[in-house]
Amino acid sequence: MGEVQKGLFSVIEKLKGTTEQELRIVLLGLDNAGKTTLLKQLASEDVNTITPTQGFNIKSVTCHGMKLNVWDIGGQRKIRPFWKKYLENTDLLIYVIDSADKKRFEETGLELSELIDEENLKGVPVLIFANKQDLATASPASEIAEGLNLHTYRDREWQIQACSAVSGEGVQDGMNWISNNIVNKKK
Amino acid sequence: MAEDSEWVVESIAGYLGSPEWVIPVTDFMEHKCSVFDDEEENKLTYTEIHQQYKQLVEKLLESYMQEVGISEQQFVEACSSPFAKSKTLQTLFQPVLATDDFQMFRSLMVQKNVELQLQALRVIKERNGALPECLTDGVDVMSELEQREMQILQEVLKRSKEEYELEMARREQFEEAVGSTSACFHERPLRNGIGPQAPARATVPPSNGLSNINGTSSKKEGKAGDLKSTVPGSTEQTPGKISDKPSEKGTKTLPAVRAPVKGSASQPVPKEKISNQAAESWLEEARKEAGISKPFKELSVAQQEQLQQRAEYLRQQRDKLQAMKKEQKAKPVSAEEPLAAPTPTPATQEISVEEKKKLQKRKHLAEKLKEEVIKK
Repeated sequence: MGEVQKGLFSVIEKLKGTTEQELRIVLLGLDNAGKTTLLKQLASEDVNTITPTQGFNIKSVTCHGMKLNVWDIGGQRKIRPFWKKYLENTDLLIYVIDSADKKRFEETGLELSELIDEENLKGVPVLIFANKQDLATASPASEIAEGLNLHTYRDREWQIQACSAVSGEGVQDGMNWISNNIVNKKK
Repeated sequence: MAEDSEWVVESIAGYLGSPEWVIPVTDFMEHKCSVFDDEEENKLTYTEIHQQYKQLVEKLLESYMQEVGISEQQFVEACSSPFAKSKTLQTLFQPVLATDDFQMFRSLMVQKNVELQLQALRVIKERNGALPECLTDGVDVMSELEQREMQILQEVLKRSKEEYELEMARREQFEEAVGSTSACFHERPLRNGIGPQAPARATVPPSNGLSNINGTSSKKEGKAGDLKSTVPGSTEQTPGKISDKPSEKGTKTLPAVRAPVKGSASQPVPKEKISNQAAESWLEEARKEAGISKPFKELSVAQQEQLQQRAEYLRQQRDKLQAMKKEQKAKPVSAEEPLAAPTPTPATQEISVEEKKKLQKRKHLAEKLKEEVIKK
């Protein structure tokens, strides 16, 4: 049954007739980390009128001839159990951290490690944005990487990128990493 | 092999147009679409519903493929053939593609929701005649309603004017026939501005032998007046009720038209009493009208003659009025019916004439044939 389904839907995918390749990217992180702001920054939209996400947002961005479908799912505690429903067929996980919210570093680390253990994310590359670098109290990306034990990840590619989603600084660097390490490999 | 895949694609395309597919899929969409709005942010329930949709489509497609005997291999080959990627098939396959494409699914659901909402609005409009105020915030809707209201008002006014003019024309015919004109005929109907019976009442002051007629005619007038004042009035209060149901309006006018006829049922009663009494009252009436205060017998011959003439005129008028009422009694229904009624009769006559002609022709033909056959 499972195999039949996969077959059917892989065929349906082919049916779409789009020659363009698509990437499914899931954007996760604690509440108030700046996921939606980052998403809007990626889509070159206004980032000044953003409210806490109760559900999820989707934007499609073209990057080096590839269509990136970015799913931004709300990060509030009560919504987090729903994350795993969005992980299937994911090509890349983007995890956003509020670099100035030191009190919740532990919490965000726990959430990330849970995601890494998810069956659906097995081997899926991770890009971590150390967001809010425009704030004076923000911790540097290297410090955060150490706290998250990123160097212990052996089963996948990973990258940590300092950025400010509000100003857009560093965001493009992250996207470049995506195109260099994932898009080019997929092609 | 290419033919084979074409057959498979055609078969699936056929299935996607069949009720076995369309009904459950549409059903699902109609049931689940209510939460789908066009807000930018998606609700978490969208995903759940999308998942359910996937399962439904899977189940349907699989059972169909099993039933028809399309193997998965065939399906894969068929779908990768260029034939499957044509424009028409792409739109037909849209509900299937929506299983894999959340954005497409979402837009289908939002569209369905809007459709249903519009449908609901239409139903509300049809049922209540108008949308409740809370649902009409657009100026367009209001002006549309107002326009319709105005149309009905104009129609009502037009009809009452036609009625009035018809009546006036009749009156004028009378007056020309009798040769005497009295100012009150022109004045009073105008002043009253109401229905056809107003002049009749005007000529007959109360407290004489004709008080019965008078009574009925004033009743008529009252009802006619009521009709005209209530119809526009009610359109103001509940515009839709009338504006949407012209038939209802039609029935509303019916009693008003019929009422005078019923009222005139009391007509024959005075008729019996009338003979002597009435003749006196005609004279009395004429005398009063002429502004002569002395009793009839004390008047000069010329004056008496004048009054006799006047009395004669009034009598004629009364007879005509009664004749008219009889006419109305014969055709008691709405004003439209007398117009419609006469047409069928000549039509049937025409038909019978035509039929006669046809029959004659046939007879002629038959006779000719007979002759030919016999001759041979």
